[in-house]
Order: sequence, then C-alpha cells, then structure tokens
Amino acid sequence: MAWELATFSADLFREPEAIEGVEVELVTPGSPVRVTHVLDAVEPRIRPDGRAAFPSEGQAGEGRTNRLDGVVILSCLDFPGEERPLHEQESIVDLGGPGAALTPFADMTAVVLTFSPGAGGHVEIDAHARETTLSVAEEVARGTLDAEPHEVERFELGVADESLPAIAALIQISDLGPLYIQYVYGTPAGEAGLPRAVDPAEILDGAVTCGEYHWAAMRNPTWFFQRNELIRTLYRQHGKTLRFAGAVLMRGYEQSAADKQRAADGAADVARDLGAQGVVITTDAGGNSHTDVMLTCRACEQAGIRTTVVLAEETDPQSTRPILTDWVREADSIVSTGNVEELVEAWSPERVLGGDLLLDGTPAREAGPIPVRNYLGAANQMGQLALSARTE
Amino acid sequence: MLAKEIERAGIPAVYVTSLPTVARMIGANRIVRGPAITHPFGLDEDERRRIVERALDMLETDVEPNTVWEVEE
Amino acid sequence: MKAVHYLNQFFAGLGGEEQAETQPTRLDGAVGPGRGLQAELVDVEIVATLACGDDYFAEHEEEALAALLELLAELRPDVLVAGPAFGSGRYGYACARLAAAAAERGIPSVAAMHEDNPGVGEAGAAYVVPTAVNVAGMRDALPRLGALASALASRRELGAADEEGYLVRGFRRNYVAEKTGAARAVELLLAKLAGETRTEVAGDMDRVEPPPAVADLSSALVALVTEAGCVPQGNPDHLQSVRAQGWFRYDLGGADTLASGRYESVHGGFDVTLANEDPNRLVPLDTVRGLERAGRVGRVHEALYTTTGNGTPVVVATKFGQEIAGELRDAGVQAVLLSGT
Repeated sequence: MAWELATFSADLFREPEAIEGVEVELVTPGSPVRVTHVLDAVEPRIRPDGRAAFPSEGQAGEGRTNRLDGVVILSCLDFPGEERPLHEQESIVDLGGPGAALTPFADMTAVVLTFSPGAGGHVEIDAHARETTLSVAEEVARGTLDAEPHEVERFELGVADESLPAIAALIQISDLGPLYIQYVYGTPAGEAGLPRAVDPAEILDGAVTCGEYHWAAMRNPTWFFQRNELIRTLYRQHGKTLRFAGAVLMRGYEQSAADKQRAADGAADVARDLGAQGVVITTDAGGNSHTDVMLTCRACEQAGIRTTVVLAEETDPQSTRPILTDWVREADSIVSTGNVEELVEAWSPERVLGGDLLLDGTPAREAGPIPVRNYLGAANQMGQLALSARTE
Repeated sequence: MLAKEIERAGIPAVYVTSLPTVARMIGANRIVRGPAITHPFGLDEDERRRIVERALDMLETDVEPNTVWEVEE
Repeated sequence: MKAVHYLNQFFAGLGGEEQAETQPTRLDGAVGPGRGLQAELVDVEIVATLACGDDYFAEHEEEALAALLELLAELRPDVLVAGPAFGSGRYGYACARLAAAAAERGIPSVAAMHEDNPGVGEAGAAYVVPTAVNVAGMRDALPRLGALASALASRRELGAADEEGYLVRGFRRNYVAEKTGAARAVELLLAKLAGETRTEVAGDMDRVEPPPAVADLSSALVALVTEAGCVPQGNPDHLQSVRAQGWFRYDLGGADTLASGRYESVHGGFDVTLANEDPNRLVPLDTVRGLERAGRVGRVHEALYTTTGNGTPVVVATKFGQEIAGELRDAGVQAVLLSGT
C-alpha cells in the first residue's frame, strides 16, 4: 500500500473563523510568547478526496493527504479548578527564550486556541476541545486544495534485501481513563484491541490522536504521531541499512500486573509475526507506563527479538546516578531523551497565551526557572527531538 | 524506596503492590502481589484477609533478596 | 574577567612543611605556578592568590573554609582555580573542598590534581582537571587548566568531560544531541544486532539485604505505612497527588477501620474511586485490627505513615524512607506492612 504526503507552503494558511467559546490567536514564528495549559499540538492536514484527516472509520495512510508546512495548532484549556483532574501538571510551549530549544514549534506560525470551559464535566469539555482542535486543523489546511504542492513524499515499503535486519517500531500509547487517553481512529487506546500491527503510514496520517494531558514533557501530542521521526527514519533507512518490518501499537497503563504481562507478551508476539529481529520500543508519559515498557522489552528479548528502549530520565540534578522509573536487566540499550528534573533558565515572555497563571498560581510571565518536565513534549519518549542527558 | 529504607534500618517490611516488577527494581525484598493498582488489598474483606495473612506470613519468613509471593485464590 | 587562584603554603612560596599551619592569607596577583597559569588564561586575570597551610586546613576545616569564602566574596571572581595539587592528599583535599564550596555559592570553580588523589571525590559540582602525580607534570597541566578556567569564566556551556578535559563529575546534564532520539535509537538497535550493545543510560540498583524474619508476630508492634496517598478526608496537610514533597504521620486513635468519608486517597497515578469507597482497600486497617484482637499480631502502631509514591524522584523517596524508618525504629516497631499501588 502507498500513501502520499503533499507539502504546501504556509502562505496557503487559512485563518479559522470565529468559534464560540474559543479565543483564537495567531503567533508569528519566533515571537516572545509563552503558551500555557497546552493540551495538544496538531499539524494542519486535509485530504483532497474529502475523507477525514483524523478519521474515526476507514483506513488512514492510503491515497494522498495535504499538509501545511510551518504551521501548528496549539489547543489550551484550564480545566475547572474544583475538580481539576490534571494533578497540577502544567504544560508549556515557549515560542521564544531558552524554552524554545525544547520544542519543534518555535519557528512555526502557531494558531493558539484557548478554550473557555463551558458547563459540563471535564469529559465533555475535553471531547469538545479535541473535536474542535482537529476540525480547525483541517480548516486551516483547506487552502491547499486548489494549490500545487512543493513536495510530495511517497510512503511505500518495497521489497528490500533479505540480508538486512528486519526492524519494527513498537509504539506505546496511553489510556489511564478520561483526560489520560490517546486514541486510535477516535477509539480510546484501551478499547482499540491493542497490541496490534498497523501500517506505519496510518500513524503518520492521523490515525492516532492525543487526549492525554499529564506528564507534559514526557507525553506525545498528536503532532508527534503525524510527524513521527521514528517511523520516518525507518522508512528512510528501508532497503539501505534495514528492512522496515512494520509498526505495533500497544497500550501503556495497563492496570493490573496480569494485564501488563499479557500486553507485553502480546506485543512481542505481534513483533515476531511481523518477522522483526529488532524493535525500537517507545514510551508515553511516566509512572507505571514505564513498567509496561520494561515488561515489553523483557518479553521481546525472551522471544529472541533485540530491543532498544526510548525513555526520559527523572534524575535529581544533584544526584550522580541516572534515575529511571523502572528497569529490567534486559534493558541494556536505552536512548535517553533527557532529564525532566533539570531546570530551564528563567525567561520573561512579552505575551502569555492560554492563561496568565500557571496551575500552581505563579504568574506565567515571571515564573522563574521552570523544570523541563513542564515543557510539552520536551523529553518525549518517541525520540522526536534531540534532547538527551549525559554524565558530566 | 520506603520498603528498602525501612529494611535497611533492620525492620522487616512487607510491600503489598500490584506492580512487583517495580518493587523489585527499587530493591524491595519482601513483596506480595496485590490484585490491582486501584485496590492492592482486594475489594472485599475475605480477599483482604487472605492478602494480609500472606503478608504477615512473609514477615515471619527469612527470604532471599527480591522475593515476590503470590496470593492463592 | 577575574580569576582567584588557591595554593598551599609551599606553592605560594610561604615555606615548606614547617609553615603547614599557615592560616588563610591573601596575596596580590599571580604567585608561583599562578604566573605560568596566567600565561594560559584567555581574557582572564588572576587578581589575587589565596593561600593556606595544608595542616591548618585539615585541622581547622570549618574556620579555614569560612575565611577563604569570605575573601572570595570580597573578590567576586569569575572563576576560582585551585592547585594543581598533583598527588598530594592534604593539598588536593583542600583544593577540592574549597572549589566545591565556591561552586555551591555560584562561583565557577576548577581544581587540578591526579585522578587518584582522594580530593577528587570531594569536589562536588566543581570541575577537576587531571594532572600527573607529581610536580613534573606542571608544564603539561597548566595549559589544560588554563583552558578550562577560561571557559568557565566566560560562562560558555561546557561540553562532555572527555572533550573539555575534566574528570567526569557524575552529574546527569541535559544537552542537545546531534541526532534525534529516534535516529539514535535505530543506530543503537542496529549496533546491538551487529553484536555491539551500547546504552545512553545504565540501570543499576543499590540493594539491601533482607532483615531476618520477625521472631514472634503475636507480640510484635506492627506499623502501617502506605505510598497510596491515604489521608484524612479533605487532605488537611495538602499531600501532593504526584511528586510528593513530604510524608505525614496520622494518629489512628484506636480506630477500627479506615472509614469512607473519614479517609481518602489523593494519589494521582490511578483512579481512586474504588479506594475511596473503602480506604481499607489501600490500607487494610480493619483486617489488621481483627488480627490484633485475635492475637495474630501483638499491637498495631497507632501512627499511620503516608505519602504518595507517584513520580517522586528516587533521592526524595529515599529520604522519606530514611526519615520514616528512623521514627519507626525509635518507636520500637518490629514489623511493617507497607502498601503501594
């Protein structure tokens, strides 16, 4: 199967129309702006054949999809305080200052959507915000429909030399209940029949969306699936240094030890069915999702499949030992996506969008040094960015 | 970490958790597997009693480092 | 930019062993090896040399450090350079302790000594440039020491230890790698498949031997401890649901059960609905009280210890554990039932 991704210039950007209950702000690249309470980041996409860019049915990753280069939609929402479900976990994108090095969005035009929570519980508020954000991402890309792309990438796995090692991507997505859910074709990860193999192009084409809002630095917003560096790297290397055997989606935050083990064994089975000799295992968020990753690493190694795991560290900056939440002996090849406990130098933005106060009550404009852990996706564990940690 | 530090002080501590892998990783020695993250001591009194008894048995036992005990149904 | 150089009595030209009791002294400009060092510094001037006898420092460390830090505070240097101390243990110790204390106060600091000098382990956040074991290595050491000191004074972000020529301090520091994590992961995996396993983080765990079993539980004092975030209803002490900042001790006051509505869990790592319907599902006080009455356990300790085990950095959790363990030991507790999640 083949999928084409057509890239268009940001000149074709269409400003979204007014939306009730949502403040829409455009920010030009490199502006001294801090965006707070960020839920998700989405790349503007639309399909010329009229099918949904973020489908809940049918199959993504076939035909052609248009993308608008250099534009990102950031959705922001401060859930009502008395039942604030997010455990005080701030999520920041700095489009300027030292924090700009921690995000891929600083040199883009940002469409910042700030939702005012209306009536209803946080589940309804969230559903409305997600749907609106994804539909704005389509709307903003509409201008591409009558234009010529400046680049078309074709994603197709042709026959590759059998002597090259077969590598699969094993991608963990979260489901820990409302506000902690990533979706596969609009279905919560926990109900999506995971683990299972998907066409890697499906992941790049909007099949996975993010409604998971804790552990800001360690989570993967929708944009990271659409532009997934791991999958793109494996496509690029296919037939050169490796054979891309496919992608497996699995759930993080299985809630019992038995389910965790079952999911880990299941993921290893799927990887073996794909013929994988090696897998890169990625992680979403923190806490016990790291146990799911470690069990999966062990299950794969026991099945004879070599593994490399992608993880963030949670090391006290004064400590001389790197700290992982979980670890098994089999995890002998780990990529560090940085230490979330390190502080990022203080910065005073000229403007704040999303909300003037951080969740802990600090004014966002003069918050002082902020730990990496509060920067959206900064230490994401799909390897999207280049942040890492080393012993000095 | 609590289990390890309490045992380091010489007091036997049994750690009831649904995530024994994590418990092993962080160096707990006496680990009893609970049924779920949301209710490590089970849902009803009978189940709770079985888990607590099993934990007490482990406190009365000399164990190897990093031992995990299951609770029989 | 300004540098201050620290030397012992010998290198400062104040005398040999007979002067090892010399108290902290300030000398103007560069002295002794400082003159050679000055030639290696870029845009940095040694404005003063601090000297102290090795014996005096070893025997009166607190006073010596206080006096030296006061002099440093007046001089406000951009960098402190200490040594080289080569293989000398007392001198190396003094260099390292002063450099560590200065670094803690925000003064970029570097000491120089042989890598086996016991001072190396005392340098804290300060940098250590390795040297030969004796003074014959001066000529080789000064250019490297000068380069690192100049870099520190300029506040340039330093690269990795082997690139910049200092000994690994052991701190984990973020940096931006040349390639994305994804590209590095694919490289590591291909290398592993080719027989060369590498990692950017090594797991290794400190272990504790299990203490022997409780001899007689039916006469033992048993404490309940939990990481499940169980607190009195309303969370009066504001225990955090994630990344706990502390632990709390609550008096059970002889209660038979952790009643719903009187206790709740604020843990942020799982859905607490089931736990809050009956908090005994997290801390089984009702069952343990029953066993106390039945004589299965001697006595239940009336203090419940609680914290939230969710995203707490290991060093912090270890500190909580040590503090709680200390209280339990002082209270004569003989066994602990710890509930996690």
